[in-house]
Formats: sequence, C-alpha cells, structure tokens
Amino acid sequence: MTSVINILLAGVAVFFLCTALSAASKRPTSAWNFYHFDGQTFVAGPPVGEGAFLAVRDQTVPVLLTLKETGPDAVPLPKGTGAIAGICYIQTAGGKLATGSGYLPCPRIPITISSSSGRPVATVQTDENGYFQAVLAAGVYRVGTAPQARDVTVEVAKTTLVPLRTGKRMVD
Amino acid sequence: MKIVSLRVAATLVFLFSFCLPAFAAQLDDHYLTAFGEQPVSQTGTDLQKAILLPATGTADPPHCGTPLKHGLQRDWNQLEPAAMKVLAKQLAAPVLSGAESTLLSPSGRFLIHYTTSGADAVPSLAWVQTVAQTFDDVTVSYAARGWNLAPTGGAPYNVYLLELSAQRIYGQTTSGQSLASPGFANAVGSFIEIDNDFLEPVYQNALSGPLTAAQKALQSLQITAAHEYHHAIQYGYNFFFDIWYAEATATWHEDELYDPVNQLYNYLPAWFNNSTQALDIAANVTTGGGYGRWITNRYLAEQHGTIVIRNIWEKLATLNSPGNNADISMIPVIDSVLITTFSSSLKNDYLGFVKRIYTRDWASHTSDISLIHPYTPLTTFSLYPVNATTAPLTSAITLAHDAFAFYKFTPTPAVANLTITINKTSGIQTALFRKSGAIISEITAAADGTFTVSGFGLMNPAADEVVLLVANTTTVNGHMASFSSDGSTSSVTEPVIAAPAAGGGGGGGGCFIATAAYGSYLHPHVRILRDFRDRHLLTNSPGRAFVALYYRLSPPAAAFITRHLPLRLLVRLLLTPVVVGIAHPAAAGVLLLAVAGTMACRVRRKRITADIHPDPAL
Repeated sequence: MTSVINILLAGVAVFFLCTALSAASKRPTSAWNFYHFDGQTFVAGPPVGEGAFLAVRDQTVPVLLTLKETGPDAVPLPKGTGAIAGICYIQTAGGKLATGSGYLPCPRIPITISSSSGRPVATVQTDENGYFQAVLAAGVYRVGTAPQARDVTVEVAKTTLVPLRTGKRMVD
Repeated sequence: MKIVSLRVAATLVFLFSFCLPAFAAQLDDHYLTAFGEQPVSQTGTDLQKAILLPATGTADPPHCGTPLKHGLQRDWNQLEPAAMKVLAKQLAAPVLSGAESTLLSPSGRFLIHYTTSGADAVPSLAWVQTVAQTFDDVTVSYAARGWNLAPTGGAPYNVYLLELSAQRIYGQTTSGQSLASPGFANAVGSFIEIDNDFLEPVYQNALSGPLTAAQKALQSLQITAAHEYHHAIQYGYNFFFDIWYAEATATWHEDELYDPVNQLYNYLPAWFNNSTQALDIAANVTTGGGYGRWITNRYLAEQHGTIVIRNIWEKLATLNSPGNNADISMIPVIDSVLITTFSSSLKNDYLGFVKRIYTRDWASHTSDISLIHPYTPLTTFSLYPVNATTAPLTSAITLAHDAFAFYKFTPTPAVANLTITINKTSGIQTALFRKSGAIISEITAAADGTFTVSGFGLMNPAADEVVLLVANTTTVNGHMASFSSDGSTSSVTEPVIAAPAAGGGGGGGGCFIATAAYGSYLHPHVRILRDFRDRHLLTNSPGRAFVALYYRLSPPAAAFITRHLPLRLLVRLLLTPVVVGIAHPAAAGVLLLAVAGTMACRVRRKRITADIHPDPAL
C-alpha cells in the first residue's frame, strides 16, 4: 500500500515539475519575436549587420523593422483575424566565375491573395525591401500567382510568415 | 454667401474625385502602350495588336527606353493593380547606362537592347548585329535538335547587353511571368543579360589557344548565347527545374553547339577532386556542382543518343512542384526516363559513367578527350598490406548518394599477386582496373567478391597501376565500404536514415504514388518500394513491363493524391502492409500462413457444425 502511495506521489511530483519547466521555457506572449529572411526561409532573430526584419507577436499586426529603429508600435489585430507577413524575392543561383547564389527582393510588386476556391480576396503591394503583409480572416489562402503561388493557413491572432519566391535568376 | 462657397467647394472636390480614376486609367494606358503592352482598359482587337506589336522581319528603329523606365519607377504607386501586374517585368528589366537602343535580330525572334554610351556601351553596331545573329543561330540549332523554343507570348525575346565583367558574370537569365500552354503548365517567360563585349581579361583568360581578343570575344559570346538561351528554354519547360541539372544541361549544350570552344572542360577538375559529394549538390564552380556535371549528360548521350537529355526535360514538363513552391528533384526524373524509355536506370548508367572517367573511352568529341581531367585518386597506396590499421591512409569510406571514389595501388615487387577484399553495404558498387602500359582492363570479381590481380609484383611502379572504384549508386546517403589487401575486413553499417538530396524538393519520380502518399521520394518506405522495384521487377521482362505500365498510368493519380490530404493518409494505410511485407518477407509469410490457416480452420469448423446441426429450413 505504501509503495503505491509513493509511486503516486512521485508521479504527481514529476507532473508538477514538467508543468513548471514547460511554463518557464515558454516565451511570454507579450514579447515580440523577430525574424529575418536568409534567402530561403525566415529564421529567428534580426539579421547580422544591416537589413530589414519582421517583428511578430500574437494578437498584433506584424511590423517591418530595421536595426536603426527603436521598437515596433503595437497595433492589435481585429477580432477573428490573423496576419500574413513575408518577402517576395527572386532566387539567384550559379556563377561560372564567382558565386551568384542569393536572392533579390522584389520591391513594389502587387501580390494577389486568393481564397482556397481561387477567388481573389486582396491585393497587397511589396515595399521597397520586397516585404508585404496582410490582415485576413482565419482560413486557407493562396498567396501569389501561379505557378509560384503558396498555400498559407491563417490562424486567429497569429502571424504566418511567407517567403514567396516569384522568380529564378540563373547567374553564369 | 458662406453656404454657397461651401457648396461650390464641395462640388469641385466631388468633381475632382470623380475625374481621378479617369486620369489614372490614362496613366496606366500611357505606360502600357509605351512598353508594348495592351492597355487594360481596352478589349484587344487585331488592329490594336498590330499597332502595339512590332512587325517581324524588320529592325526596330532605335529608341530610348531609359527615361520611360525611370518614369515608370516614379509613377508606380499611381497605377492600378492590373497595370502593375502587366508592367512589373519592366521594373525588373535592367536599365542601361545610356540611352537604350534596340535591334531586332534577322529572324525577328530577338530584340537586342544596347547602349552606345556609359559603362554598358557596346564596341560597335556590328557587334550588336553579331550578337543578334548568334542568338538566331543558337535558336536554329536548338530547334533542329527538337527543343521547344523559349516562350515569349508572341513578342521577340529580350536580350540586354551590359557591362558584367565587374560582377564576374558571362550572362544571366531571369524568369518572368507565367506563359503556360497545354502540356507546359509551369512554363514562364524570361529575359537574358550578357556582357556587352567580352573583351575583359576575366573572359579572355578563360579561353586558351592562339586566338585574337576579337576571336575570344566571339567564342565567349557563342557559349554564353548557347548556355543562357537554354536556360530560357528550361523556363519554358518547367519553372520548377532543379538548378544543378539546369546548369549541367546548359553547359553540356555549349559543346554540342560550339564544339571548337572548350571552356566547359575547365569545370571538370573541381568535380573529380570532390567526387565524394553527391551528384546533385548546388551549382558551384569550386565543388564542380552543376556546371561540372555536364559530362554526365555526355555519357548519357553516348549511351542512349542525345534525345535522352531532351526526354528528361520533356518528362519534367509534365510534373508539378512537390509543394510550397519548391523545385522538382531531378534525380528521380532522370531515373524514371532511363527506366521507362531506355530500359536502363540511373544506377546502371551512373556506374558506367564513373567507370568511363577512369577508362576514358569516350565515344564522342574524341579529339577533345585529352581535355577531360584525369581521375583523381582519393588515396594512393604504395605500402602493403593495406588494411584498417594503415592510418593515415584510410581504406574505408562513407559516400553521399550518387558519389564515387578512386583508390590507386602502386605496384611493388614485394606483393606478387594483389588481392583486394571488400566489405560494403548494399548500395555500394565496386570495380577494379589494371593499367599496364597503355592498356586498361577491368578485373572480374571472384564468387566471394574479392579481386585478384595476378603479376602485380611484375608491373612497372612508375607507369602501371591498379585502381579500385567505389561508388554509391543509390539515392541514399551514408553507404559504406572498407577494403584490405590482407583479407581482413572492417565492419560496415547500412544507412538507416535517408538523408534528403541536396538539389531539390523531392517527389515527382520513382514510385510516383508512394512518393505522393509519403510526401518525399526519400521517405524510408518509398526507398523500400524503390529497392524492390530495382531488385525484383527490373531484373525480368514481365517486371519491366509492369513498371513501364505503372509509370505511364500513375502520374495523374499521384498528382491527385498529392493535393488531397485524406487520400494521402488512405494510400499510406493501404501501402503499409505492402511495405511491411517487402521489408520483412519471412515474417509476412509466416503471418500470411497463420491467417490462411486460421481461416481454413474456421471454414472447416463451420462445415462440421453445419453437418452436425443442419439448417432446419432445409
């Protein structure tokens, strides 16, 4: 009987320990998370050196920042909506004499956002750095134009990051 | 009076707001017309199209496009989304250093953009005409070889001449908007930029031989036109091509179209010196990735005819991105074409190719064989015995997928006969060559897999050699081999995790339906099915016929499955017993026997019960 109680107590202790560790490891939802584009995908943190990057947090409209700016202004997302934020870029690859691998941002390009049925729901324009964002009702959307479009799921109060490759440049 | 003024002001504001869209439309139409696009506010008539499109066969009068592009940049935000979409490609197109002029090529297929002032200035109008004629020649060559030319939507293809030597670039080809057509769902347009004169040392030094600067410039232009225009063709087949194979194919064509220009041989040493890296690593001249791989196409063309390369791209044209806008891995596509059309496989041809790197018995471009970099041994052994303890010279290797290594054994009188014992995992294939004088012969392995070179001690250490080839001919990373000259063996372990191929996103070839269901060509279950195909189906004619039929019928089903998540789950469930049966045939056999026995017992028991208690209704 005593051993059963001991096992139960150990189980309860482990449960509370795990819960505490989980809680401690979680980032507070009020904190901004920063992401920069590395040429293929968004990675955590601002870029090394200069460059634009995205500030993202739950229930807030994503903000594009540069290292020179102090901090993002928080604009709440309307109820029932989420956001997408991303960069529109041309992948560059190759180089016969020197490497040409990397990417070129696409500034001032219209991006079409369509519903899952293919009906256009919004058109946004990329900024000078090729970045774009849109606030949308929760759901599944197609971002961009075929054949380079991407399917994106928008969740309420969340921001989904979208690296949108709209072209290739073969550098030789 | 105040109320009247307010009303007048309000009316003016209203009228002004009402008129704004009309002005905007005029601005859109201005730029659309200026750049040769159809105004979005009009429905196109044949007459309008005739006015907007330049007549073919006649040279465009030179006109200056630079201020127009600057104006477009300035007014961009005032355009409507539809006009932005059409004109976006103009923003992406290069702006020359001086007033831009254009020249239509003699065939009318190319519009050459050039300037005569600033850094991008061309040396002469004659040079621009040479550029135009060269691109026309390249187009004729590709058309004669059966390639579909680059899609342009009916307009001439745009080629820009710029100063690119500072960036160390021969040329570059950039994709444009979708130009899909039946059978080419993922086709896109493109434009090309090439250097304005190819006179700088960076280009001149890349070509050898007693040529003048003008001759070297012309040769650089020829291979650049052949290379870049093939990229334009590739965009027309499928935007989602795998970049390493795009470079390999475009580079291979340089020598097919302009055999006297041999600059492409410069890319081979980098590959042969890094042969343990996978076939589909990223294009990079330091590792030989992409560009150096052109010689694989030469081997395939020698084995199956040059049509094999076009067939590979035609197969690619029928495929869709595996998802998330990713490129299509080319290795499964190449493999499927070799299997279905040429009764071979990448496994077979890759082994044949790496053997030819050593034997050098190339069947085409024979006058250029001396330009092909010789094989590079990973290690040269001259002290014997060779075994696991002969550090630092290692006698074991782990290879990436589709990679190889050569080992050289220098003859010594101390070893009369050399016997090589090899322990390897399932994906490794080996060959042993003996070179005596100028004669190369391949040694046949004994039944136990060992190779014996008789008379090794009598060979000339200065000129003769024995060379071991170890190749991973699978798409799985991590296959291992170890060898010795004293009969000892080191343990090797089968790779358990299929590492992703470097070059692409997977999917699209091999076992199409399984790939669609599991989401990756390199999923372990897909690998099990693929290995079953290679070992048990492709080794006999009924099996090959089944595989060929499956490959003809399965792609549409696979494409449908890819788009529907529940179907993918269902197919995975259905495939699970097949995969388990193939992976564990003995256990599956016992299980099947047990199930069959149980069912037989139940049937027998039911019959006995029926005999004892007959149905009262009867």
